[in-house]
Amino acid sequence: MIDLSLTEDQRDCLQELVNVAMGRASDKLARFLQTFVHLRVPAIELISAQVLPQSFAEAYADQGVSMVSQGFYGERGVRGESILFYRSHDAQGIARILGYEPEEATEVEQLTDISSILTTTFLSGLAEQIDNHIGYSAPRVVTSDDTSIEKHLQQLSFTWELALKVDISYQVTDYAFHCDMVLLIPGEAIHSFQQALDNILNEI
Amino acid sequence: MTEAVLICDDSALARKQLQKQLPAQLATNVEFAKDGLDALTRMRNHKFKVVFLDLTMPEMDGVAVLQHNQKEALCDKIIVVSADIQPAMQDKVHQLGALAFVKKPISNDHLVDILKEHGIHD
Amino acid sequence: MLSPKTYDVLLNRLNLGVIVVNSAFEVEFINHFIETQCQVNYSDSVQQPLFSLFSDLPEAWLKRKIQSVFVLGTPAFSNWEQRRHVFKMRHTRPVTTQSDYMVQNLSFLPLSQNSEVVQQVAIIIEDVTDTCFYQERLQDTLKTLEHTSQTDALTGIANRRFFEERFLYEFARAKKQQLELSLMMFDMDRFKSINDFYGHQAGDYILQEAAQLITQQMSRLDVFARYGGEEFCLILPQKNIMQAHQFAESVRQKIYAHDFVFDNRRIQTSISVGIAQLDEDSESFESLVTQADIALYQSKREGRNRTSCYKK
Repeated sequence: MIDLSLTEDQRDCLQELVNVAMGRASDKLARFLQTFVHLRVPAIELISAQVLPQSFAEAYADQGVSMVSQGFYGERGVRGESILFYRSHDAQGIARILGYEPEEATEVEQLTDISSILTTTFLSGLAEQIDNHIGYSAPRVVTSDDTSIEKHLQQLSFTWELALKVDISYQVTDYAFHCDMVLLIPGEAIHSFQQALDNILNEI
Repeated sequence: MTEAVLICDDSALARKQLQKQLPAQLATNVEFAKDGLDALTRMRNHKFKVVFLDLTMPEMDGVAVLQHNQKEALCDKIIVVSADIQPAMQDKVHQLGALAFVKKPISNDHLVDILKEHGIHD
Repeated sequence: MLSPKTYDVLLNRLNLGVIVVNSAFEVEFINHFIETQCQVNYSDSVQQPLFSLFSDLPEAWLKRKIQSVFVLGTPAFSNWEQRRHVFKMRHTRPVTTQSDYMVQNLSFLPLSQNSEVVQQVAIIIEDVTDTCFYQERLQDTLKTLEHTSQTDALTGIANRRFFEERFLYEFARAKKQQLELSLMMFDMDRFKSINDFYGHQAGDYILQEAAQLITQQMSRLDVFARYGGEEFCLILPQKNIMQAHQFAESVRQKIYAHDFVFDNRRIQTSISVGIAQLDEDSESFESLVTQADIALYQSKREGRNRTSCYKK
């Protein structure tokens, strides 16, 4: 059994890494979308992957939800899977943000496109700070059916031990959308993450 | 007794990282604030040589601190330190009287250049 | 270490398409795969605008995609499940697949040398026609299987399994949102005698014909299922017991008035109906089934061909 808990210092360090990664992602997004991206302080939470299905099924119980998953793999055993959760009303109108022509991309495709952008910009920003390089697999829509979210998560959490939950709120000048990002991380990769945090803490 | 430096950031790591990057003369006399409200209280009580200000913080964010500072004229040397380096944000903080904008994670050379440029360090 | 020449050979032997473009969307490289699949040659292609070299590209979408890689410095993807093909290429399984063009997965990779600035973007095209073919066959099979598992083979209406699944859902929904919900159960009267007198095929015909008649009468929200043998049930969402009674009576009269004709013989039949409605005391969907059943037996006892409502 791997110790999932972080020390106070490790937690603070991770929060700051996440903040900086988010800030850099926002900057890149703003340049790409040619608009101002308002960024809120992201709340992070480390939870055991086993409780994830239940807690998320509850949080999204009343609405339709779409989940987009994307694998990532870095050096020194850093790897995992990122899942983005969108409530149905947040999933609408993404085409406008992305600057696609109307009717040019289906809603599912818009969702995978924005997810891939959010995941890769955020994780690249995180990787840079822990001196790592991350590669990605193609994003996939796991489900757009509210009844099966718990089942899907159960299948996923079977493989992973720890989940880092990052609440992301992106507000673009005249359009706001919110999504939850969850990074699922397997046991041995958690150790790599903790090691990376300790390295940073030891340097200061 | 020289005036102190104020570092305002909600992250302990970020506060320490910044202190470590400061030139020795400045690093010896540093006060810390953990959010915007804390910083504002300290700025009202003391005159700081320079204030390093993070933007995204709970309680009160950096932009609000700049707005209060402009109204109350507390400190004329505020350097914004943030990962959010969108051009629109840089313009905004300059308009609110920030001296300079430093990108996180901080590079030592860049920080020293900025301190020299504004006569805070020689 | 590989020599540059070997790298070149490798790129051209790959069973993947590789196209490299610059930020002005001009082609800087294509590999052998692209040359053969798109019937273009390397020397005529380089420095050509991407969108004039390949026809019918989804230009606005593809431009944004490539731009995202230049600006964000991170890879982008396109999946066949969302977009079958981007580049029109003939595939190598012409007989077994339905699609005209090669089904593709695309990756857009940032290329940069020792700097943060992305200089080119490599578009990697993977042929997934096979995957798509098998995936679609699987989907079709699953759909058929799902339909079969929910349908009563004789009448073509829902079976008991589907009824229980839906009733459980409707029951929970009505409770939560405080909506009205009624359940109607009915039984063909003297069905055993029909079977004995006219034969089992006639009995089957009666069940099919009756199911047809009722399907025409129900509303969009109702769920109609064969509960077993000659017993049927109808979930009536958003109907109180008065409305359910009215509906049940119209169904009963229609069945009674209908000419069932089998083998040139006219068969008259009727149904006995029981209805129950959801109230604050209803604990489970099973209790509602029991209540409707009790009302149904009351109709039988009182002489058949009638509708009874459950009373506590």
